[in-house]
Amino acid sequence: MDTQAILMDYIKKELMKGRNVDISPSDDLLGSGIIDSLGILQLVSFIEERFNFQVPDEDVVFENFFSVEALTNYLKNAQAAA
Amino acid sequence: MVYLLHQAVDNAAEKFPENEAVRFSGRSLTYAELKQRTDRLAAVLIERGVSRGDRVGIYLKKSLESIVAIYGILKAGAAYVPLDPFAPTARLSFVLRDCDVHHLITTDDQMPFVVEMMEQGAELEHLIGVSSENAALAEAIAWEEVYATPVDSLPNVGTIEQDLAYILYTSGSTGDPKGIMHTHRSGLSFAQWAAETYGLQPEDRLSNHAPLHFDLSTFDIFAASLAGATTVVIPEPLTKFPASLSRLIESEKITVWYSVPFALIQMLLRGGIEQRDFSSLRWLLFAGEVFPTKHLRQLMSKLPNVKFSNLYGPTETNVCTYYHVETLPDTDEPIPIGIVCENAEALVVDADDQPVSRGEVGELLIRGPIVMRGYWAQPEKTERGFFKRKVFDYLEDIFYRTGDLVQQQEDGNFKYLGRKDHQIKTRGYRVELGEIETALVSYELVEEAAVYPIPDGQGSNLIEAAITVKNGADISIEQLEEHIAKRLPSYAMPANIIITDSFPRTSTGKINRRELQSQALAQTEGL
Repeated sequence: MDTQAILMDYIKKELMKGRNVDISPSDDLLGSGIIDSLGILQLVSFIEERFNFQVPDEDVVFENFFSVEALTNYLKNAQAAA
Repeated sequence: MVYLLHQAVDNAAEKFPENEAVRFSGRSLTYAELKQRTDRLAAVLIERGVSRGDRVGIYLKKSLESIVAIYGILKAGAAYVPLDPFAPTARLSFVLRDCDVHHLITTDDQMPFVVEMMEQGAELEHLIGVSSENAALAEAIAWEEVYATPVDSLPNVGTIEQDLAYILYTSGSTGDPKGIMHTHRSGLSFAQWAAETYGLQPEDRLSNHAPLHFDLSTFDIFAASLAGATTVVIPEPLTKFPASLSRLIESEKITVWYSVPFALIQMLLRGGIEQRDFSSLRWLLFAGEVFPTKHLRQLMSKLPNVKFSNLYGPTETNVCTYYHVETLPDTDEPIPIGIVCENAEALVVDADDQPVSRGEVGELLIRGPIVMRGYWAQPEKTERGFFKRKVFDYLEDIFYRTGDLVQQQEDGNFKYLGRKDHQIKTRGYRVELGEIETALVSYELVEEAAVYPIPDGQGSNLIEAAITVKNGADISIEQLEEHIAKRLPSYAMPANIIITDSFPRTSTGKINRRELQSQALAQTEGL
């Protein structure tokens, strides 16, 4: 699976408990209430484990996490820079 | 004379017309603009049949319009009923039916959910903030139309301070949310106390972190307007990101911050506050839960020029005690909830409603103008919520029973010791465990359910549930979660649901939630 698919899979299975909403990579994860602050923390630890990449605190901001697409782009750039 | 909440806006519009009243994502309204817009909204509401004492719903994500909606509704003589924009529609349609709402302020984006609520029996007749192509079921009035309605002067609708101003719905133990009714007087009493206690000035910029359906928001909005200060409304998505929040404090030059401890602890741990310029910040206020002393100590040492204050009060009393944190205990013992607010009286009673001697543990009762009117349409619950102290024949003092156990220290400050009942706090939200249990048991295959809090190590709780299954049926936790997600707000969703064969019981045969909780804790520690 590519990064985007891995993230989608995790969000659907682990974070969207009981919400049978279909999400697409460009969907706003936060505005729609799909992920709460606890979800963000879970997502960060998942990324750190799965991609073996430490996400600096200052990068855990709205711009990088508002959609799966944004997150995929962020990870691509951040991993390339690391 | 200011005796109604919205008069604070008109007052500020006269004294400081060019001061920013509200900021949101780079946009703002001055007090002059806010007065004009709220007058126009009130005129539109009155023209659409809203009269004194009616309830008008607000179903909006945070925006400039959230504030316009609150004051516009109040100016029309009605009480506002804020709906959690992320809550399941079944819960919201219950609220709309419960307090008989026919006018809703919302947006086109929220319309699919509004339609669901109407299908579930909400009798909405007028939708404000909605364009006409969305108006199949009710009359739609777009904001452009509202703002284009000229108003010379609003009719005097005759509101007095004892009329209802807002109804906040909160978790109810029987499974349905209950509406806490506040009047202009109770809201204003708190706002005036707060503006004075924290010395709010027209130059101040207050954060609005809490959602509108959460009582912390009344400080951010009403106390700011009284002072002619600015309310900086924080978009919901940003509240999930500690680093975004700390950047907002810097860029918006927030002077007074108010939130649940959880938001501050997150900012302390992950917000990179060392790199931020917090020189504008003068007060940091928190309420809703206990701030763990360990974290508070770290935060205070990082922000030596900021003053800290712990506010306490169930939604029924707005805020009723406060504690300015000057020194911290050497141990990690929790800080007190402080002394009772000016113009409020505290009484501590034992299980037989007899006052305890100073220093003994008892339930905290509160009397004063900050106390709610009662629970909407629940006279028995309201009756049970109050304690009457006979003064003379035919004269009684009326106290609200907080359900919180306290102990007065020698220095006069109250210490909070816990709840009398099954209510818990999670991320600052209060949740009745019974409400979650009711939701779980409403699923066909669930026999019995017990819900209990698991401390998360950050001063708050996660919720865990244990269930027994009917006749050993094959149950899908995923489907069960889906079922309860339609009934509960997301903050009340259990983080974990476990299936068990039987529950530990107390000697009286009740489910022993404490035992379940210690089993769960032992398991976490064992990992």
